Amino acid sequence: MLVSRSILQKFFEEPAPPFEWLAIMLIYLPIAEMSANVMTLIGMGGLVGFMSGMFGVGGGFLMTPLLIFIGVPPAVAVASEANQIVASSVSGGLAYWQRRAVDIPMGLILMTGGLAGSYSGVQLFKTLRAMGQVDLLISLSYVVFLGVIGALMLRESIQVIIAARKGSPVQARRPGQHSWILRLPFRMRFRRSKLYISVIPPLVIGYFVGTLSAIMGVGGGFIMVPAMIYILRMPTNVVIGTSLFQIIFVTASVTIFHAVENQTVDIVLASLLMIGGVLGAQVGARVGQRLRGEQLRALLALIVLGVGVKLLLDLVNQPDELFSLTRIGVGG
Amino acid sequence: MRALISSCLLALLALVFSGERAHATEFKNVLVTDVSKDQISIRSNYSGETLLLFGAIDTLPYGEVDGVVVVLRGPAQDITLRKKNKQFGIWINGPAYRLGDLPSFYAVASSRPLADLLPRARRAELGIGADVLKASNLDSAQNDPEQAEQEATQAFLRLKQSANLFAAQSDAVEIIREKLFRAEINLPAGMPVGAYTTEFFAFKDGALIGYQIGELPVDIVGAGHILHEAAYNMSLIYGLFGVALAVFMGWAVAIIFRRR
Repeated sequence: MLVSRSILQKFFEEPAPPFEWLAIMLIYLPIAEMSANVMTLIGMGGLVGFMSGMFGVGGGFLMTPLLIFIGVPPAVAVASEANQIVASSVSGGLAYWQRRAVDIPMGLILMTGGLAGSYSGVQLFKTLRAMGQVDLLISLSYVVFLGVIGALMLRESIQVIIAARKGSPVQARRPGQHSWILRLPFRMRFRRSKLYISVIPPLVIGYFVGTLSAIMGVGGGFIMVPAMIYILRMPTNVVIGTSLFQIIFVTASVTIFHAVENQTVDIVLASLLMIGGVLGAQVGARVGQRLRGEQLRALLALIVLGVGVKLLLDLVNQPDELFSLTRIGVGG
Repeated sequence: MRALISSCLLALLALVFSGERAHATEFKNVLVTDVSKDQISIRSNYSGETLLLFGAIDTLPYGEVDGVVVVLRGPAQDITLRKKNKQFGIWINGPAYRLGDLPSFYAVASSRPLADLLPRARRAELGIGADVLKASNLDSAQNDPEQAEQEATQAFLRLKQSANLFAAQSDAVEIIREKLFRAEINLPAGMPVGAYTTEFFAFKDGALIGYQIGELPVDIVGAGHILHEAAYNMSLIYGLFGVALAVFMGWAVAIIFRRR
């Protein structure tokens, strides 16, 4: 019995891939082991870069949660974001370096603490990952830090706004004296900061920020900058440059430690975020110069708080699926 | 078209003479089968595809078949399932279940509902249907092994189904004039890599009368493959490369934008 030609045709025709036009925009992330839209990733990088350029903050603390929200495994989000921050802090730090606004000895000491901190952060990360608790560690760290920092920023900008309405000048906040900390042993002269202080506090601060960097996939400038001003009492003109200087080295070491210990750095993901991030930061910096105002700072504070609240709700509300699945030996 | 048909015929002849398989001992094998691809390559723009599994049925020995079943199975994996429970007001990963030998991908297509074709016990023997997959429990000491394992296995199926990695379609095998059949299986973008197997079954009155098994390798190819391999086998160099790329990109952008 012969089969009719139309049946044969139907039988052998190649099935067309679904949504072929969309496939052009999709890219496979080899470590996250998922497909994502190229434009989404570049756009996210651009948006966060724009905000970081406008407000003068690193974008890591917004980007890592965003990556988690779109379904990137948290461990991959953290490590790949650390890789991206290397690019954005090199790009931002070069200008400060050329302006000689970097206290190199101070940067090196902060970095030494930071390297040790990033190593122990990655080890903690690895241990908790094996126990299936690393996602919790990341979420809790974010809830705490985004909550505290968002609240502080909001309070400060509201105070400034109210003071400006009343027409009274804002009192520059004078922190309490921490001089005993700075008079600990192993004192060193930091010429560019015009300081003669113990190396212990910068080592400890560097260590703490390095640990946070490894766990949260952030540069840690939001902790480092206030710590330098209020604890180390460094002059403001070298603070940002020195902070960026040590962030480059700490996030680079976080990237390498995560790559070696956890295999969670997705270079494809990081590159796409870099492209968006560095471009967005340049645009944001230009816009920010014209728009800088306390209202903007309050807006940033609200965004930070919003992300923190979303992460908190995800922890508090009962998830739709109580179970989660990981491959033994590999996985996210 | 002609070349395709003749190559298919060659493939059919080769399969006919390729001897007997595991299940093919007690019956005259009525199935001659092939797959539209002999390997799946995941490129950087891979967004999933549809795999065509097809073949011919020899109706001479047994007459018309009752049904044809096609199974595509991914490489076996050992997995950890964790269940969240509420502690200190937040949902935290609690008890872990380690299950072994479960397929990372499992799709079954049949010409009729599986339950109509053969009893559950027989399906379990042949490994047809996600509901009869047997996990080996890697935890020897569990308080309530029976119930916990059942709950964990069900959660496993649910998670795999929601990730489009497990699928069952009861009308997806189309039999054409009793002699030809074709089935389409959708491969999702996030499919696990490794050695897949394709299995074809034909049944008559609940008895197996046709069986074929084949291999289908699924690999990441191109730049993604190199990066994936490097990340796991040359982690240090991979990490250094990531950092070098970032430094270069940051530096380049700073230079470009300063010129303006």
